[in-house]
Amino acid sequence: MDEQALIHDAQGGDLDAFNTLILHYQDSVYNTALRILGDEDLAADAAQEAFISAFKSISGFRGGSFKAWLMRTVTNACYDELRRQKRRPTTPLEPDTEDGDEMDSPAWLADPSMSPEQEAEADELEHALQHCLNNLPLEFRTVVVMADVQGMDYSEVAIAVRVPLGTIKSRLARARLRLRECLQGFTELLPASFRLEEGSNA
Amino acid sequence: MNRRDIELLSSYLDGQLKPSDSVRLESRLSSDSGLRAVLDDLRAARGLLRQLPMRKAPRNFMLTPKMVGKNPPLPRVYPAFRFVTALATLLLFFTVGLNFLAPQMASQGPAFGMGGGGAPEVFSAQAPAATEAPAIEAPAAEPPADLAPLPTATFSIEENARELTTPMAKDGVTQEGGLEEPQVQSAPSAQAEAPRPVPPVWQIALASVALLSALVMLMMRRLAADRWRRK
Repeated sequence: MDEQALIHDAQGGDLDAFNTLILHYQDSVYNTALRILGDEDLAADAAQEAFISAFKSISGFRGGSFKAWLMRTVTNACYDELRRQKRRPTTPLEPDTEDGDEMDSPAWLADPSMSPEQEAEADELEHALQHCLNNLPLEFRTVVVMADVQGMDYSEVAIAVRVPLGTIKSRLARARLRLRECLQGFTELLPASFRLEEGSNA
Repeated sequence: MNRRDIELLSSYLDGQLKPSDSVRLESRLSSDSGLRAVLDDLRAARGLLRQLPMRKAPRNFMLTPKMVGKNPPLPRVYPAFRFVTALATLLLFFTVGLNFLAPQMASQGPAFGMGGGGAPEVFSAQAPAATEAPAIEAPAAEPPADLAPLPTATFSIEENARELTTPMAKDGVTQEGGLEEPQVQSAPSAQAEAPRPVPPVWQIALASVALLSALVMLMMRRLAADRWRRK
């Protein structure tokens, strides 16, 4: 895929060229939105909005990392979605227990082809991580998702989030530290190879 | 362990430290077990995040023309044609206006300049009307027995009226009916003789440019719309 040529054509209004770029990046964009928002439906909506917005503003792309530019668009779409949620809070998909706490894996959402135990085993790590990600402040979550989940380098993350490199380093370090602390509460759920050492307080 | 140490460890983990800083940190790590433990924790947290499964997009996010707005993207030269059309139209109106106004201004110029134009005559024509008015009313007030002054008075009224409506008429009693025609004809002939500032060929050229450019724009829009419909 000649990315530069496709970008150039898309800047001239070629929707087919842009759709080729979408096919290449849609999984990354969707996963970024999913990890930032923590909800599949919202993530899909945000990803779609991000691509629409990206096509409309692609004439403003002045070169550099297209992925970073695209991630900036999806980050903005996620922030918009979160702001919308704040203004119009909806009933959470995860129902409350009798005590008022949210259930992590409601039985009515489980795949019927798998037993509840299998479902829990398959998803426990992901759920624990997503839970810890959701507890991070938004600006930390965005940085850690891009750097550690998407594997983007610091400069790309800085472009995507529009903050200086030093701020990215600082946010990433603090996000990892908070994640470490949060994940210590899920020690029994984590694979043995990833068990975090306890007692190493920063 | 302070915040600066955490940032150093995190950057070290990603290979983002300068070589000199790395060496310094490594020497500290070899002697500080607490620092090593935090580094291990950060590494484990990063490793866990990297283990997160990449979910496949639940649907295709490819865009349709409808999703990105009704208007198809126009070629990049489109704004240039829009500018040319607007400019040519503007210039066309300007030249038409100039050609229309210039002869009128040219004809008015000498009248004011020579001092013997129409305007002073209007005042001279009005003056007798004011003085003769009593003469009109006077016979009407008298008994109808003496009819001799009446034709004179009637003539005065007609003359005054004629002088007011056609200020250019000067000696007009005997030239009644023959005075207005030469003057009506003389104005257009003066206009025709006055040179037009912008030759008509320029106006035709401007109109052609505006029309052609507008047609090209229309074709561009239609082609772009057709291309989008076919997608």
